[in-house]
Amino acid sequence: MVIDSQPRQALVRRVTGLARSTPGRLSLIVVVLVMASLASGWLTTWSVNRQQQALEDLATRSEPLAHASQEVYRALQDADATAASAFLSGGLEPSQLRQRYEADIAQAQAALSVATASSPDLTATLAAQLPVYTGLIETARTNNRQGFPVGAAYLREASGLMRTQLLPSAQELYRAETDRVARAQDEANFPWGSVTVALAFVVALVLTQVYLTRRTNRLLNIGLLVATAAAAVSLLWATTVSVLVMRDVAASRSASEKVDVLAQARIATLTARGEETLTLVARGSGQAYEKNFVAVSERLEGLLGRAKQQENGEAADQAMRHFRQWQQVHQRIREADDAGQYNDAVALIDNPYFDSLDQDLVRAIGQARQDFSDEVAVARASLAGTVVGVLVLAVISAVGSTMGLWQRLKEYR
Amino acid sequence: MRRLTLAAVLLVGACSAGPAPSEVVPRNAAAPQPADASTVTVTVAPSSSAGPAPSCDATASLRPGPLPPAGQMPAGSTMERILKRGRLIAGVDQNSYLMGFRNSFTGEIEGFDVDVARQIAKAIFGDEKKVQFKVVTAAERIPVLQHGDVDVVVRTMTITCQRLADVDFSQVYYLAGQRVLVRRNSGITGVDSLKDKKVCVATGSTSLGNVVGRAKTTVSVPNWTDCLVMLQQGQTDAISTDDTILAGLAAQDPYTEVVGARFTEEPYGVGVPKGQEDLVRFVNGVLERMYADGSWSGIYWRWLNRLGPAPAPPVARYRD
Repeated sequence: MVIDSQPRQALVRRVTGLARSTPGRLSLIVVVLVMASLASGWLTTWSVNRQQQALEDLATRSEPLAHASQEVYRALQDADATAASAFLSGGLEPSQLRQRYEADIAQAQAALSVATASSPDLTATLAAQLPVYTGLIETARTNNRQGFPVGAAYLREASGLMRTQLLPSAQELYRAETDRVARAQDEANFPWGSVTVALAFVVALVLTQVYLTRRTNRLLNIGLLVATAAAAVSLLWATTVSVLVMRDVAASRSASEKVDVLAQARIATLTARGEETLTLVARGSGQAYEKNFVAVSERLEGLLGRAKQQENGEAADQAMRHFRQWQQVHQRIREADDAGQYNDAVALIDNPYFDSLDQDLVRAIGQARQDFSDEVAVARASLAGTVVGVLVLAVISAVGSTMGLWQRLKEYR
Repeated sequence: MRRLTLAAVLLVGACSAGPAPSEVVPRNAAAPQPADASTVTVTVAPSSSAGPAPSCDATASLRPGPLPPAGQMPAGSTMERILKRGRLIAGVDQNSYLMGFRNSFTGEIEGFDVDVARQIAKAIFGDEKKVQFKVVTAAERIPVLQHGDVDVVVRTMTITCQRLADVDFSQVYYLAGQRVLVRRNSGITGVDSLKDKKVCVATGSTSLGNVVGRAKTTVSVPNWTDCLVMLQQGQTDAISTDDTILAGLAAQDPYTEVVGARFTEEPYGVGVPKGQEDLVRFVNGVLERMYADGSWSGIYWRWLNRLGPAPAPPVARYRD
């Protein structure tokens, strides 16, 4: 350390010595300006790059993954409700219910394999238990076909597995992926650091100009003027683009919030349907399911109300209307079942409102996802060319300030 | 020079061993279990078990008067209230094959108990279809009677002195007895070979109290079919309950068999809310008529013939 301090002190002495003479000071300013120009250019490029990456991640990874995890949840919930409905129908299960169940399982499996790549830990339970679930459902079917009531017990076991293990895991996965989208949106925030540095660089160039005017009595230095202009354009460019991106990202955030509310509404719809069906399967001992139905319906109404607040579109209106019609039919189902008209109640459950509500939500989700995709695409487009532009401008600044000061330095030779 | 580089590379390579090859983390997926399965220990004997039951003459019921004609129930009676409502509400099972179960082809509930309930409806209305079935688990039988959710419970319900404190019973309409269901060739020969075994029973059944001290572990589930699921999945060694229910379970799985002799007597009665003596007497009258006109034997033949030829109907006993 002691040995080291010797040459360092010498360096400091030489630099301070240089700074005392005007040419020395000018040379120092050249070095500082060139370095500052490159540093500012590099920093801006870096932050623009980061925004670009965040946007790309949003468009190509986070959002598709969030959608996949939502599909896992939805398909599983629907499979369970459909399996219960098929059981309720009596006789051979209707082929459209069987097809719907098979499509749900295929969809869940496909969405799961997409999600597994990003969250292998969160999908482990789902991957391990989904085959067990389908196995139990098939055992239930086989027994039903032979007229054995043990089939219903297998169905109950499968449904229990779904409720206690698969759905909670799917919910956790969905939350994790939705949070990932929010984090990616945070990444694309305003680049305060690089804008501040770019602004400081412009100020430094102006101050140099003022200093030179005082020292040399010349009003303008072309080189410095070009450098200042380039730096100012770069600053303006980066700031404008960042503001635009921020606005688009904010719009995409509200779009993904919309998707989240609608997706939750869709899952609540399917949950309520499952509870409604199981109340009838239980045949008189389904008070717990009915209680769940009421609770989930209340939550669903709240979610639909929020969706309507977010965007007062036709789809939201229709969803609310179909929800109310469904609730009215449910009331009639309960009345029929409680009055001992079990077969009438079972017949009523085959109404179009639940499917209509589901379709409304599918449409609304599709629209909101398209909005999200549009906003992110606009943001990505506005960033196009920024990196190259900022780099070119930084080089112009560096060259301009060097040349401008070089002219003055030459006068001291 | 090249040799030196090689030596250096080798030296460096020798010093930095690669990481161990990756392994797939083994995951033990717990076997799925029926919902609400719980292990019962001897110390926590459920309230419905025999225990220190109050001693009484459990199977002596109330003597019936002459049956009123269908559709003309005595004014002010419980039966008149049911008649005015337009349907009898009966608590039954939809999970016990042969006794009370859901026919998966028609979706209707059928079985021995269900036919008994239909006979009661027929005596009130003249129409055996005027009955609403409410499915109850074994544990729910007494609560639904106490809350007045149902008029009668016809669900393999054993008459015990303990239960008589909470509900009333008709006379005996079937005399069952507890036995053991096991996988074929399991080596279990009866209740005495259960000491080191795991046994499944339904929550709130008398079978639970009869077996809980005789097996190593007892697991209880809401329905008897849940026990069959556990037996098929290898999660229990045996199921022990009334021979009627076991016959229904064995009929669903040819790899099982009922072993051992009856080690209890389980007299089934129709459960009636406490204090409705007129309904008890009425039901007893219906049962007597069923014994006399052969409809009881017909129902037995329809559902329980695999237990052997129809026995003589139970002999009515009354305490007046």
